[in-house]
Amino acid sequence: MSGPHDMGGEPAGPVGKEVREPEDWERIADAINAALGKKGLQTTDEHRRAIESLPNYRDLAYYERWASATEKLLVEKGILAKVEIDEKAAEIHHRWDGA
Amino acid sequence: MSHGHHHETSSGSARSPLAARVRAMEALLVEKGVVTEAEIQDNIRYMDSRSPANGARLVAHAWTDEGFKARLLSDGKAAAIEFGIDAVASPELVVVENTPEVHNLIVCTLCSCYPRNVLGRPPDWYKSFEYRSRAVREPRAVMREFGFEPPGETRVAVHDSTADVRYMVLPMRPPGTEGLDEEGLADLVTRDCLIGVNVPRTPALAG
Repeated sequence: MSGPHDMGGEPAGPVGKEVREPEDWERIADAINAALGKKGLQTTDEHRRAIESLPNYRDLAYYERWASATEKLLVEKGILAKVEIDEKAAEIHHRWDGA
Repeated sequence: MSHGHHHETSSGSARSPLAARVRAMEALLVEKGVVTEAEIQDNIRYMDSRSPANGARLVAHAWTDEGFKARLLSDGKAAAIEFGIDAVASPELVVVENTPEVHNLIVCTLCSCYPRNVLGRPPDWYKSFEYRSRAVREPRAVMREFGFEPPGETRVAVHDSTADVRYMVLPMRPPGTEGLDEEGLADLVTRDCLIGVNVPRTPALAG
């Protein structure tokens, strides 16, 4: 049974070769993952399962998939509540808009 | 506003809804004492400090020291640690040697598995749907897009990485490099060479 991530051998267009530095939020997404792993709060396999079950997998950029999966796991495990994340994210957006 | 799923980045992603959610998760995890800000920063610094230059130095050392080359090919992770690279947290690292008979190419069709603890975060193209789809089906066509193709008689071996096993290519030492020291040799080895979409260039001969 293959999921949306299982794309080896599919036809596709040219490989884009642009090389860029990751944005800060991407570095943070990466670091949250590593930190949760070191604490034993998340394994690579759990994270992959969460990524590969995202319904919009192919519409998201790489670290958007990572972040969505991490959020899903944190909520599943009761470490954070979705409503808290919603509120905090709204606050952050508000700050950005005011800046 | 669609991402187009052919791009790993979108303009303005720094303030996208998901960027805000990442910062929200970070703030909440720190507030609740699940992780500390220092731990987050340490992980960022560690990943920022990993670089393809580590791989280039391993390759240059293997080209000049047969014993080390044998150790690198038999246990890449142990050889990297022996060489002074902080790769203790790395999954197994398998180093595959290019020869006149075989050219190696690395991919992770399922996601982005890559020897991050040695080479840093993988480039966007390595994680792209195009590379992941095509590298296993038409590796020569993909390599041509990077400006390289192995000779027709050379077999191309494509290695599909897993969460537990990461790969790095040991390219062939280019001819005309007898006079170079390890640092000069390492300068010839780019990240693309370590993934296998390219090979080190023969340095331009003076005169």
